[in-house]
Amino acid sequence: MKTTSVQNKWSWLLVVLSAVALLAFGSTRDSGPRTQADRIDAITKVLACPTCSGESVYVSRASGAEAIRAEVARQIAAGQRSDDDIIAYIEARFGSRVLLVPRSTGLDALIWVLPVFVLVCAVGTLGFAFRRWKVVGSDSISEEDAQLVERALREDR
Amino acid sequence: MFFASGINGALGRAFLLVGIIGSLFGAIAAITSARQRDQAVAKLVPRFAILVFAASLGAFAVMERAMITRDFSLEYVQKVGSYSTPAAYNFAAVWSALEGSILMWVLILAGYTLGVTYWLRKKMDDVLSRYALGVMFIVSMFFFLLSFGPANPFAAGPEGVLDGPGPNPLLQNHLLVMFHPPLLYLGYVGMTVPFAFAIAALITGRLGEGWLLATRRWTLFAWGFLTIGIILGSWWSYEVLGWSGVWAWDPVENASFLPWITATAYIHSVLVQERRGMLRVWNLSLLVATFSLTILGTFLTRSGVVNSVHAFSQSAIGPWLLAFFAVIIIVSVGLIGWRGDRLHSPGSIDSPLSREGAFLANNVLFAVFAFVVLLGTVFPLVVEALQSRTIVVGEPFFDQLTIPIGITMLTIMAIAPVLPWRKASQELLSKRLFWPAWSGVLALAGSVWVGATGLAPLLTFGLGGFAAGSALRQVVLATRRQGLRGLVGRANGGMIVHLGVIIISVALAASNSFTHSQELNLEAGKVASFSGHTFELVDVVEEKTDRATAVKALVKIDGGKAYAPAITKYVLQGMNVGTPSVKTGLAYDVYLTLEPPVRQDENKARIKVFIKPLLLWLWIGGGLMALGTVLAAFPGRRRRNPTSPTSEDDFAADLLVML
Repeated sequence: MKTTSVQNKWSWLLVVLSAVALLAFGSTRDSGPRTQADRIDAITKVLACPTCSGESVYVSRASGAEAIRAEVARQIAAGQRSDDDIIAYIEARFGSRVLLVPRSTGLDALIWVLPVFVLVCAVGTLGFAFRRWKVVGSDSISEEDAQLVERALREDR
Repeated sequence: MFFASGINGALGRAFLLVGIIGSLFGAIAAITSARQRDQAVAKLVPRFAILVFAASLGAFAVMERAMITRDFSLEYVQKVGSYSTPAAYNFAAVWSALEGSILMWVLILAGYTLGVTYWLRKKMDDVLSRYALGVMFIVSMFFFLLSFGPANPFAAGPEGVLDGPGPNPLLQNHLLVMFHPPLLYLGYVGMTVPFAFAIAALITGRLGEGWLLATRRWTLFAWGFLTIGIILGSWWSYEVLGWSGVWAWDPVENASFLPWITATAYIHSVLVQERRGMLRVWNLSLLVATFSLTILGTFLTRSGVVNSVHAFSQSAIGPWLLAFFAVIIIVSVGLIGWRGDRLHSPGSIDSPLSREGAFLANNVLFAVFAFVVLLGTVFPLVVEALQSRTIVVGEPFFDQLTIPIGITMLTIMAIAPVLPWRKASQELLSKRLFWPAWSGVLALAGSVWVGATGLAPLLTFGLGGFAAGSALRQVVLATRRQGLRGLVGRANGGMIVHLGVIIISVALAASNSFTHSQELNLEAGKVASFSGHTFELVDVVEEKTDRATAVKALVKIDGGKAYAPAITKYVLQGMNVGTPSVKTGLAYDVYLTLEPPVRQDENKARIKVFIKPLLLWLWIGGGLMALGTVLAAFPGRRRRNPTSPTSEDDFAADLLVML
């Protein structure tokens, strides 16, 4: 009995170690050079189409989006700027409404803060509930009831 | 004036009027007979249900008739009707704009009311059933009024119109348009049924588990259709919109997804109530949230408010929906407060490491998930209202927040199915999770081997394998014990649904993270290659019909079959619609789009190629979810009658017998 649980412990260690090793290897290795098309896709995914509601330039087929896509492609082909620089350049040219990712300053920061706040509250409430349940504990039965059950069981036999 | 819009207009409005009156009297009959325990009046309720359904069917049929006969005296037909629309799309044109979609809502809601009435036909002497039907009638009346007033599809249009533009070209491009909206509405509107029973249970104070069991299948039915509707919508997006994606987190998509999230949370947490009698307020709140989110979602997407706060005044339907939403919330919260004493449930959850503990954790995540989606949808409104400045909240925001939530959910999904109720010992967990954990490691190793990178996708694949192992373990054990019967019932069918969800998660992670694309300038006779495939332009053809001109590039992939991505120019709307062409495969799809300019040379074409890994598995996973829902709806192994600790409920026992 003892040996199986020890074996189990070792095999669980093996599970955890191999998972961590695979994750570490897989998530840090180089996924190959990024092509220009990859860069265009990555940048246009965080830019909003100026004429549609909430669609990214990557998604949209509207002419406004086509114009931005063409501009991004031109910038990348020129090979001068980094991705962030291109995004900043597009913002400067078309205005901040082409940014698809809300900023993390001012009122806009709320959209990042509120989910975390709600999560903390929810987990906190749950933790509190578990603690209270532990204290109350509905499972304790009285001595009297225990005897009752025992007697009934004996009679059953 | 009544006849100003011709025979169809007059008939349609008459039907709607009958529907309003029928719903009103139905509600009165149901509620007064419930209050006064009057059997004679209660007998009238089914007749009103039939009348209301007949009225809604009549109104819908008149609308279809007007559309099919191209009755351009109606404003709505002028807007979405056209002689050039093919018959099938013309039939679907009825629900291609606001007024018609509200009419479809009316029809489906009246159908549900009739269905519930028929289902309760032998239970009409029960007060709870009458109250529930009363609520259904009230909601029906609201939607009839909406259709009669602010969203009137039978309004007379300007005279002298002989033809219209037809529906949005995007809605006459793929047959899924026929099925996606009705199926989605079956789910969306179906959430009214459990809500009605929840309100009835609150009014009667019979908050034992009876009504929950009674409505379980209705909830599951609605949930299943909502799932299918959402997946068909994604499929439509993939096949029609030409950006190769399935989900863009746009407000309309979010509006359908929000009630799905809360309903999914409910389907899980209700098990805790059935088994342990706990979480009553929470479960009621989830049902209220689900129903009210269908109303709020409709408000957000159909009143024009999401595009801009300033469009608010343009649509008359907005204030109605907002007021109705407020009424639902006030009434529900008031009732829950009023019944607070009876809602208090005895008992406690002993350990977080138990089935019920896992359900609670799952519910916390679902609640946060719903909050994130709702926040992302309405936040631009808040900013615009407070600072009159436009911001856009799009995919990057939703991805950043929902991917961690999704991964945590997968983790719970891996562990929860093996957890026993009450308490789990370490040895038990170690034994039961052993093989599922190894299947997770195997999945991880496999995905690393095929070249997957990135932490989030790898976690998804590994945890997906783990969760699939747990789900399969349950199904295998059950079928070994009971043969094919081990596939049906809530727990086993539920695990099939889980497998579907896991497959979808893996497919989403793969197709979102590892899509790559390339534009190719093709020339006839020259072979271009990308990502191990060759692309050869065969021909560029132009097809003219009276409603549109389509330019198609015939492209041979790997020298085999020719695929034909196209751009169609719709003459009447002056709109260009790209139509992708997809070579489907189990490992990946090759997705081709023809890129503008529209006029293409005879022997030249600019196309874009997307390689979409595992995309087909989204639809397979969706099918599995639907199958699992059906299996879960069948009664499984006979189980003991659930305990109802505070209120004795003969209704439940009776219904169980009836089912």
